[in-house]
Amino acid sequence: MLFSSVPFLFYFLPAVMLCYFVAPKKLKNAVLLVFSLLFYAWGEPRYVFLMAFSIVMGYVFGLLIEKYRGKKTAKLLLAASVVISIGLLGYFKYADFFIGNFNAATGLSLPLLKIALPIGISFYTFQILSYTIDVYRGSAKARRNIVDFGAYVALFPQLIAGPIVRYTDIDAELTERTHSFEKAAFGIERFVVGLGKKVLISNAFGELCSIFRASGEKSVLFYWVYAVAFTLQIYFDFSGYSDMAIGLGRIFGFHFPENFDYPYISRSITEFWRRWHMSLGSWFRDYVYIPLGGNRVSKPRWFFNIFAVWMLTGFWHGADWQFIAWGLMYAVLLIIEKLFFKKALERLPAVIGHIYVMFFVITGFVLFNAEGIGGAVSDICAMFGAGNLPLVTAETLYYLRSYAVIFAVGIIGATPLLKIISDRIRSGKGERFFGLLRPVLLCGVLLLVTAYLVDGSFNPFLYFRF
Amino acid sequence: MNKKAYSIYTVVLAAALVFVLSAACLFSPEKDFSESERRKLAKFPELSAETLLNGKFMEGFESYSLDQFPLRDSFRRLKAFAQYNVFNLKDSNGIYVADGYAAKLVYPLKEGSVLDAAAKFGEIYDLYLGNSGGKIVVSIVPDKGYFLGEANGYPVMDYEKLEKLLTENMPYAEYCGIFDTLSIEDYYTTDTHWRQEKILPAAKKIAAALGFELSERYTENEAEVDFYGVYYGQSALPLPADRINYVTSKVISEATVYNAETGATGGIYDFGKLQSKDPYEFFLSGAAALLTVENPAAAEEKELVIFRDSFGSAIAPYLIEGYSKVTLVDTRYIAPALLGDYVDFTNCDVLFLYSTLVLNESSVLK
Repeated sequence: MLFSSVPFLFYFLPAVMLCYFVAPKKLKNAVLLVFSLLFYAWGEPRYVFLMAFSIVMGYVFGLLIEKYRGKKTAKLLLAASVVISIGLLGYFKYADFFIGNFNAATGLSLPLLKIALPIGISFYTFQILSYTIDVYRGSAKARRNIVDFGAYVALFPQLIAGPIVRYTDIDAELTERTHSFEKAAFGIERFVVGLGKKVLISNAFGELCSIFRASGEKSVLFYWVYAVAFTLQIYFDFSGYSDMAIGLGRIFGFHFPENFDYPYISRSITEFWRRWHMSLGSWFRDYVYIPLGGNRVSKPRWFFNIFAVWMLTGFWHGADWQFIAWGLMYAVLLIIEKLFFKKALERLPAVIGHIYVMFFVITGFVLFNAEGIGGAVSDICAMFGAGNLPLVTAETLYYLRSYAVIFAVGIIGATPLLKIISDRIRSGKGERFFGLLRPVLLCGVLLLVTAYLVDGSFNPFLYFRF
Repeated sequence: MNKKAYSIYTVVLAAALVFVLSAACLFSPEKDFSESERRKLAKFPELSAETLLNGKFMEGFESYSLDQFPLRDSFRRLKAFAQYNVFNLKDSNGIYVADGYAAKLVYPLKEGSVLDAAAKFGEIYDLYLGNSGGKIVVSIVPDKGYFLGEANGYPVMDYEKLEKLLTENMPYAEYCGIFDTLSIEDYYTTDTHWRQEKILPAAKKIAAALGFELSERYTENEAEVDFYGVYYGQSALPLPADRINYVTSKVISEATVYNAETGATGGIYDFGKLQSKDPYEFFLSGAAALLTVENPAAAEEKELVIFRDSFGSAIAPYLIEGYSKVTLVDTRYIAPALLGDYVDFTNCDVLFLYSTLVLNESSVLK
């Protein structure tokens, strides 16, 4: 089920809210678990059993690892847990990638499995992994109550597109959390803002990208328009989803980690990855990079660690070579920055840093969204004039004019400008007026979003495929 | 306002909105049909273990919840308003409004589609027309984008190339160009189609190409109906209604129309259709695979077969004058291979009359 859908907003959400807030405290997690499984089953009826298996598996391993903590058995159990979790992810997400490449390398023609990707498997697998590893390390206690643990894994606000909530992030809140009007108001604001980002802005850019793909008269400029449009689409799509998740979580009394911090204002790639998909970056840092030795190793080994982490980051996003290439591109840029450019970038005018970052981010997302490596090469070459394309066509100019306001909204919205203005008004004389107006504006956005949804507009979630 | 009061105010307002709309979703009566979109609305899907497991119930419920949403048309209008006036998009759902006329973005020219149409017409020629002995004429009806697009900054297809592609691939037919006889005022503001009372010059030119002259005196009449065309519903933009005007003459009044599918016989104009979902069906009762129009006032036994789309319904009444019998064939609804069972092409004149809209999407033709 999508957050940005009529069934969610006007059937599921009111039902879960009513049941949750009416239920006594000891049953609240059970309500969340039942509704979360319903939420998941809505889109993936069969895979709800896989989800249930993953919950039971994580729960049992957690208890066993804690029981044998400090002994060799615990290590074996952790290894088994990691192998099973990664094995499930590998089977459902990567099997055809490996079979296809094996066939290409050997000339054999083993049949592809053609398994539909279980929604959100990359997210909940990482959550279960973080749990068992943290229990093994002793930084988390194993959860005794399977309903509480199930509610953690399946918690619908962050189930299918993150942020990746580690067990230690909400361990305490699973049993002791409070609810208040303040939290609910904050949650509603975040949710509606995220919904607006997704439905009103990201979907508009998505439509433009579809128009570009379908166009028979592409031009160099149209490729750039598409590249910028997709860069904005993926930001508003994913950060919008994270906002909705954080907002819903807060209504239910949870504090989920932030996932985006205006990444497109970064002045270096290092800074960009501190601001983009922060929960994934920190997950790889804590569970892969640091265990590999981080930067406290020899230089060649350090380079290897960086390449390993970024190759895995790319591969996590999708089972295709272009995702690996996308990850490795960042590995190269980060190494170059760390070795040569970091200080120079800090001394240069900010605008040069922004241009440098956005150039690689935009080009990177073209690679990311291409149809395989061949498609990526073709798209990127076309952006730089290869392929005898005209520089501009009437169609390009039309769509550029038509989407000018959306681009303006998208570009301004990707910076903290609106937040700064909003904070100033709140802290200044307009606080009272703004306090009255803000909820009305939120309801206006909710009505407008509803109008867009009712008209059946273009509404995919990009991060569902991960 | 202190923080708690602000929070209560926010929660109450948002919750009220969501719960009121939710209750309206649950308790609003189900509707069968959307007048503005001219389509049946989704019903509550079948609920069973099978439909739950294969996901059909969920798919059906998604459609149902959108189609049956309370105040659906108002929400669609709100979206169109925002698209046009807030986000300043130049089109809404692919429909734009320029100079007071709603038109569809028909762009770019799909050369393959035009060639495919020409190939399909070629099959008809090979099957029935090679030795028929009559005149064969082809004509193209431009869509509104031809008049509105370029002047208002919208991308337009290459109409010249379309004409060239079609005519070069129909060497057996004489091309009768009617673009120069038309202007945007000859079309309805809210609909795809042309206005019958305005297309006499085009009819005259086609008649001349077929070898006769339109000599009748026509009287213009106005049907008492507000006509909201197909673009009105698709765009959800607030557009004023059109009026349907129609022409009458002695020949038109006496002609009878036989529908081979339904077996019904009637007149050129179907007044019952003025109250239907698509009042344009007033002309020749709307879409039909095969219609036969008999003209008892004809001076000689002469037949015309028109291969046409919906634009043919408005212009055909003018062309009856030159023939004792006019057969209208819409190959969107009947396969050409079956036509031999219903139509005798011997000595018939033949007119291929298609709009650029259909030629650019010719997969709809059989």
